[in-house]
Amino acid sequence: MHSYVSLTISDLWIERDERDLCKGLSFEVHSGDVLRVLGENGAGKSSLLKVIAGVITPLEGQIHYSGKDVTQDRSLLQENTLYIGHFAGVKRLLTVEENLRWYCPTVLSSELECTLTHLGLLSFLDSPVQTLSAGQVRRVALARLWLSKKALWLLDEPFASLDDKGIVILEDHIRQHVSLGGLVVLTTHQNLRSISSRDVVLSL
Amino acid sequence: MTYTSFLKSELLVLWRRKQDVVNAVLFFILVVALFPIGVNSSPEFLSPASGGIIWCAAVLAILMAIEGAFKEDYLDGSLEQLVVSGLSLPLLMLLKVAALWASVVIPLLLVMPLLSEMLSLPSGAFWVLIMTLLVGTPCLFFIGIIGSALTASLKQSAMLVMLLILPFYFPIIIFATSAVQAAQVGLPYSGLLAMLLAMSLLSLVVSPFMTAIAIKASVN
Repeated sequence: MHSYVSLTISDLWIERDERDLCKGLSFEVHSGDVLRVLGENGAGKSSLLKVIAGVITPLEGQIHYSGKDVTQDRSLLQENTLYIGHFAGVKRLLTVEENLRWYCPTVLSSELECTLTHLGLLSFLDSPVQTLSAGQVRRVALARLWLSKKALWLLDEPFASLDDKGIVILEDHIRQHVSLGGLVVLTTHQNLRSISSRDVVLSL
Repeated sequence: MTYTSFLKSELLVLWRRKQDVVNAVLFFILVVALFPIGVNSSPEFLSPASGGIIWCAAVLAILMAIEGAFKEDYLDGSLEQLVVSGLSLPLLMLLKVAALWASVVIPLLLVMPLLSEMLSLPSGAFWVLIMTLLVGTPCLFFIGIIGSALTASLKQSAMLVMLLILPFYFPIIIFATSAVQAAQVGLPYSGLLAMLLAMSLLSLVVSPFMTAIAIKASVN
């Protein structure tokens, strides 16, 4: 069970390639919420996640995490955040196990095997990622959601490259995470059905 | 992610990319071998020039190895993961340089006896050459990694990296080759080695922070 968390964005303004994105955007989400950021390609969905994660710096705006201002110093936010960007952060020369141990070095072998069984990747445990399909690579990246204990998930197009079964597994896990007090912010350009009863939709 | 898991993954990736190191070492040997074959094979020419030849070849081999240090990490998104990991980015960069240095310089040192023999380097100067490589090459890596980080998001950046960082290599080459030449003619060389060490230590302090800034600029 996660302790209560909240994420507040106020008067955000992002500039990318001399284009204004998310100008004046404000929202607040809490433990148990799934914030689905919708929008066309180039609307600024990924940029919004990158700003929250601390990859890019906004022109203006404030970010508060659980009531604390993290606009300048994201260390508190990053300690509690799992960010999976559009590019999965999976090294192609490492095996599936090596990739996951890079992110979660203390994970038990039994826990790792259980997660990979759930995701249909156990037989690829020792396979180099470069031999996997795009959907399998996505699953390797998403396996971190099962192994990490972080409360806030920032997921950029998490359903991309996943088959129907993979989408159902991920939706179930997101539901489970928020039911335990987690908070999820995800972007999608697909108008998918609600994931949980506390879905919040933000259209850019 | 922890510092240990990061270092372990870096070493694993370098091990899987060992062909790159083999290429750099082969390139190094070939460049050195060109001088006795293509210029002059007499010991009178090669012996005084050997320090300079080896150092110039080493600089080119190191540039070759360091140029794409962040390319793959940038493309697969793992560079972004470093930025959001909550770990100290300068310390991660320090570990990356340490792994890269060990993977390139140790093989270069292993072929050095063969090359020094080929260039008729006296045995007294050989150990000075080894010392210059040990204390001088870290500086090359610390400077090179900044250029590599700055150009991580660019395609076809090899020439740009070279143009950016090669001028900063000149003082190191001058001090290193001067130390080898001084040893060959029996002059004191400890001051020159101390200068090389000082440059490496200065770059060790400054470079990780500059590399971290360059990484953030590249993923931005």
